[in-house]
Amino acid sequence: MRGASDLRKLAAMATAVLAALAAPLLFGTYGAYLCNLVLVNVVIAVGLNLLTGNAGQISLCNSSFVAIGAYVCTWLFTQQGLSFWLALPAGGAVAAAFGCLLALPAMRLSGFYLALATLGFLEITEVVIEQFPDITGGIRGMLAARPTLFGVTLATDRALYYTILPIVAVLVVVARNLLACDTGRAFNAIRVSPLAAQTLGISPARTKLIAFALAAFYAGIAGGLGAAVVGFIDPAEFGAGAALREVTFIVVGGLGSVAGSVIGAIVLTLLPELLRGVQEYADLVYAGLLLGFLMLLPQGLVRLPETLRRGRAPASPAGEPAAP
Amino acid sequence: MDVSTALQLLFSGLSIGAIYALVALALVIPFKASGVLNFGQGQMVTLGAYIALTLSQAGLPYYAVVPLTLLIAGLAGMAIERVFIRRLVRAPEFTIVIATFALGLMVQDAIRLHWQDNDFPLPVPFSTDPWRFGSVRVNPVFVWIVLATVVLVVVLAAFFRHSRAGKAMRAVSQNQEAARLMGISVEGVFSATWAIGTAIGALAGILFAPVTGINPGIGDLIIKAFVAAVIGGFSSLPGAVVGGLALGEIETFSGALAGSTLKNVSAFVVLILMLLVRPYGLFGTAGARRV
Repeated sequence: MRGASDLRKLAAMATAVLAALAAPLLFGTYGAYLCNLVLVNVVIAVGLNLLTGNAGQISLCNSSFVAIGAYVCTWLFTQQGLSFWLALPAGGAVAAAFGCLLALPAMRLSGFYLALATLGFLEITEVVIEQFPDITGGIRGMLAARPTLFGVTLATDRALYYTILPIVAVLVVVARNLLACDTGRAFNAIRVSPLAAQTLGISPARTKLIAFALAAFYAGIAGGLGAAVVGFIDPAEFGAGAALREVTFIVVGGLGSVAGSVIGAIVLTLLPELLRGVQEYADLVYAGLLLGFLMLLPQGLVRLPETLRRGRAPASPAGEPAAP
Repeated sequence: MDVSTALQLLFSGLSIGAIYALVALALVIPFKASGVLNFGQGQMVTLGAYIALTLSQAGLPYYAVVPLTLLIAGLAGMAIERVFIRRLVRAPEFTIVIATFALGLMVQDAIRLHWQDNDFPLPVPFSTDPWRFGSVRVNPVFVWIVLATVVLVVVLAAFFRHSRAGKAMRAVSQNQEAARLMGISVEGVFSATWAIGTAIGALAGILFAPVTGINPGIGDLIIKAFVAAVIGGFSSLPGAVVGGLALGEIETFSGALAGSTLKNVSAFVVLILMLLVRPYGLFGTAGARRV
């Protein structure tokens, strides 16, 4: 039995790898561009899910960390002449540093109060971006450039895709492995019961700090990648709407699950394309989906087969995130 | 800074603070009863402004628009409570935060789809020429805001202190089981507090509309109301009022003394500081947090 399930897992993994490799070849140039966006959103969702789905910390400012990563990476790359491949982790590191900074108040807060603190951080970031137009371009935004690899500019979306795919794959695998080791189990422990975690020698404060730093690092990397993909940084993309969209990825995909993050990011990045004719309703659809999943299918898409097999939606609303 | 400038700033801070106080009250009243903090309350302010706009465009006079808007907003609040919130009362805080946030965004998106990003004026039935007291100029719109807020606060205080329904709401916020045993309909109280909260939010929208114009972003002031509620402690109605007024003054004076950058971030700096140092607020008690 165990062999069969292992085999099924292996088959699923192989399918995922093949799909990831083939995806940008199947649909034209615009398809390749969308695939790049999917990669960026996968990184965002995986990081946020560690913080929210596993460590149980509400964050309404994930888009701020994406913004920090995007601005730092792009500024270092286009204006300071640093290599993109150094600017990218630098953006992630700066975002992670801000994540630690936010964790200082966040360590002492939970629930509504934490949500408010993160909302405050979101607003501060927006104001700072607007107030320093010399560096950030203010509300007009900032041009970004395509990275180069061994002297070749990655001008096409396909070239960019195959260059960043390994980075994204590493980040996904790291998250998955992290959840299998003591740090990841500590995340789950402080979500389920901070008190019980403490009696086992887990420091909730330290664990929250790590979770915030990790989510911010992932978001920062995604920000740098996103700027390279889109070629432009639009500060309007980092507001409360974006933060909620990122939460939607993980709620729809499945809280606490790396596979869920990936599924959520893929589905919700491609969904607006299906709504082409009714583009202006996209935001409404997003928010409606989020509300619908929270109230009716809180386990997310990743647990959908099990939920269906059990015959009906689970009775407890949105409680336990799915297992990693 | 001379005395008349200080007075001028004091009054500006008071009137903007009154708006913050109103929205903070709209947050705190349903929160105390049901334990659900409405992260979409800002969009209830927007909704109120647009209901008033619709009624006013239909040709109704201001005196009819105000009570009608409050009534419609109250009914909308009850509907939202009945359809969504009652299912969420026992849900984890994450679900509550995100669901109310999403509800708010849906309202805002719907409004934006219908009215676009235009700015609409809301006519008021009095002259908006400023009154002059020496060198201090006072805009009648702001006087009306402060006056309406004072009246509302007095009415609310009397309601919670003396009326049967108000006492029932206080009982529910203290202990739902005991309140139920005393024959109070806890669901009825939830419904009523959401009606009151949404109506107060709508009132803030009506009062604020002549100042900013009506646009889909009018509800963005919610974040300031959150700060006001945090300053006051989420469990206290007088705290919400004091917090709102204090924030209005802090913003106005920091802007006058140190420029617009500081004015724009001052509220959030206060928020983070309060959460760090005194998360239960000036008027709350340490044990008031929902566990």
